[in-house]
Amino acid sequence: MNPIDIATIRKKLGNSADIVFKEFNIQYDNRVQTVNLIYAEGFVDTNAVQDFVLETLMVDLPKLDTDKHPFLDFMTVGDVQELQSTDMMYHDLFSGHVILIREGTEILSIAMSGIKDRAVSEAMTETVSRGPKEAFTENIQTNTALIRRKIKNPNLWLENLRIGKMTQTNVSIMYINGIVTDKIVDEVRSRLARIDIDGILESGYIEELIQDAPYSPFPTVYNSERPDVIAAELLEGKIAILVDGTPHVLVVPALFISFMHSAEDYYQRADISSLIRILRFVGIFIALLGPSLYIAITTFHQEMLPTQLLIGLAAQREGIPFPAFIEALIMEITFEILREAGVRMPRTMGQAMSIVGTLVIGQSAVAAGIVSAAMVIVVSITAISSFVVPAMNMSISIRMIRFLLMGLAASFGLYGIILGIIVLVLHLCSLRTFGVPYMSPFGPYIAQDTKDTLIRLPHWAMRKRLRLINQNNLTRSKDKAPGPERR
Amino acid sequence: MLEKGKISHRQLTVLSLLYTIGTSILIVPSIMSVFSRQDGWIACLVGVVADITIIFIYSALSSRYPKLSFVEYSEKILGKWLGKAVSLFFMSFIFLLSAFLLRVVGNFMTTHIMPNTPIEVTIILFILVVIYAVRLGLETTARAGEIFLPFVIVLFLFLTVFLLPQIKIDRIEPFLEEGFKPVILGAFYYFNLQEQVILLMLVPYSNRPDKARNALLVGTSIGSLIIIVTVLLSTLVLGTEFTQRNMYASYTLAKQISVGNFLQRVEAMLAILWLITIFFKTAVCMYALSLGTAQTLQLKDYRTLTLPFGLLLVFLSLIVYDNIVSFISFTPKVFSLYATIFMVIIPVLLLSIDTLRASLKKEQSS
Repeated sequence: MNPIDIATIRKKLGNSADIVFKEFNIQYDNRVQTVNLIYAEGFVDTNAVQDFVLETLMVDLPKLDTDKHPFLDFMTVGDVQELQSTDMMYHDLFSGHVILIREGTEILSIAMSGIKDRAVSEAMTETVSRGPKEAFTENIQTNTALIRRKIKNPNLWLENLRIGKMTQTNVSIMYINGIVTDKIVDEVRSRLARIDIDGILESGYIEELIQDAPYSPFPTVYNSERPDVIAAELLEGKIAILVDGTPHVLVVPALFISFMHSAEDYYQRADISSLIRILRFVGIFIALLGPSLYIAITTFHQEMLPTQLLIGLAAQREGIPFPAFIEALIMEITFEILREAGVRMPRTMGQAMSIVGTLVIGQSAVAAGIVSAAMVIVVSITAISSFVVPAMNMSISIRMIRFLLMGLAASFGLYGIILGIIVLVLHLCSLRTFGVPYMSPFGPYIAQDTKDTLIRLPHWAMRKRLRLINQNNLTRSKDKAPGPERR
Repeated sequence: MLEKGKISHRQLTVLSLLYTIGTSILIVPSIMSVFSRQDGWIACLVGVVADITIIFIYSALSSRYPKLSFVEYSEKILGKWLGKAVSLFFMSFIFLLSAFLLRVVGNFMTTHIMPNTPIEVTIILFILVVIYAVRLGLETTARAGEIFLPFVIVLFLFLTVFLLPQIKIDRIEPFLEEGFKPVILGAFYYFNLQEQVILLMLVPYSNRPDKARNALLVGTSIGSLIIIVTVLLSTLVLGTEFTQRNMYASYTLAKQISVGNFLQRVEAMLAILWLITIFFKTAVCMYALSLGTAQTLQLKDYRTLTLPFGLLLVFLSLIVYDNIVSFISFTPKVFSLYATIFMVIIPVLLLSIDTLRASLKKEQSS
């Protein structure tokens, strides 16, 4: 190896002030040698460097019999690696390693990470009333540990990759060997390997790059920030993709139905969670079709309403200057603006907005004769219903499609809505996620896999894994529940 | 292979079920009561028996060439030019049938659901959805069928159960008032409205073509059962005269539902059910049409044909008959005879020629 010139390294790093260079002499191999220590400020634990590296080199080394062992052996730190070239050095340097260069020939990379990470805290987006509360953090090592803590099995395999020409982001693929289908793992690997991009700052980048249907409004990659959800998905034979720097872990293949499931469904008793799921599907139905059905019925099919209600509605709509569609559009867009503002706004402003939202938009709009009270009810129910979808990205898709259906309802009534739904279902059926049909187990219908879809059967009844995802290892358990022994 | 997708045995069953319900659930009750009066359901039953018999012939034909579609083996059996001619003739039948289906959608929508929307708009909208389905391929359409099937069944059961209180049994009496003749006539017309022969275009793409007969039989039987129940209910609830006068008797039937004072005006459910089934029937026809034409003319892709065919169908459906009156007289009197050529004569001829040739070959070789 060519002698390493510290000045060149310094120049390559642009003399950046946060990179610390230290040069000192040690007694090794019966002579005085020069050692260069390089680390990035804020990345390493300086106390640890002092205690384990400097102390070893300056205090302990002269006392030891140094000629028999390689330099590497004297490091009193666990994770030490000898690097072959300076190129590999930079990634380590910015991952919290201390780089030690002896005599310009030997490069050691010592893990001394002291980055201040956010502590493991409660999940913000996917909240449950029963079940573990912890969520992933921004640190990929913490995240893998959180998953491993749930699945203590040597078959839980992890593969590391670096993606992003500039950012060199750590990305890991995690799966359970023996459950996962190798074909799908290969597909994930090859798609990740083909990524050519400058930077990966969040798992959303990867999701967008590897998803099956880039032009579909529906997500074909699942994500979660809960370790228990990821562990459950891994146990179903899916593959997790962890990205350093984000608490959102991706899961593929993602079936349509899994976006409708919440972690809590599996922690509550089966009957409760089944009923909650049915409720959720009712909510999704309202979120998707509420305003469009209202528009279609009030505009085209008044005969479908009971007379009393019809008279009431007509009386309300008497002073309204807009057709139902425009009215609905005004209210829906107002709501979307309120929602978006609520997300972006500083927390302290929340109260001000709820006053504006309820009083101004709700009450005054009706009083001013811009929208009818019935429309406010419809839009509010729809808005609330759209939040029963546990997955945020699916909830947004449903909201987007709602606007299309509203347009169809306004122009073609129920006929338009039905044709819209047929197109929607056709589109959903045409999607695939990493080779698995998106709508399975409904289209194609697989009876055995429907046990955990619209309802959830008890754990003792779900003794088989999903057939299309786990092609070779289907049996989850063989025996029924160990209830009281029957005599 | 033009179609790379494979559908499962179950999907073929589902498609043939939806195909059988198709238009029939809406228009059959009226036609049956016109010809067979209160014995319409017996006529249907006889028609179903004929249907099932002919499916045995179809499956005998397709089992001789399990990997080929109807168009492909007609070429094999009759030789290149005659085979192609028969195929194109067969395509013209599907083409005409599709136009009829479109017109029925247009007519129903403009008379009952969207009276102020021009018929052209409803037809164009519908054919666009059908074209989308055909372009996505057979697999996708079959999966969508599986998803819609439970809704169809639930809607149908819902309508049936809530009509039960209004049944008056004496409305189907007397049995066979005028002997068997009107029943047989009705059965003949019913039989010709079930164009099961077109399903032969799908059979080679199921994953078990050898078991296709089962799929077609099960699908057709369940579908026919639903139609027979509808015909029976129309007669039992509306009575013969009223059913005769209503072109869309089952829609009128759904209007009769009134439970308590809150469950009323649910006829939209029947419209939804029927729109779904006729969508699948039209999609299967359109698919068979594009695929069959592409196979006959040896094109590389059948999808390119969907748009031009769709355009032609829109115009044909607008001129295919002048008005409802001519439709009512045309469908039984002309169309059923025309359909018989394709549903009975051509398949039977193909089968007998092929069997004859096979036995001749056997003799020669031995």
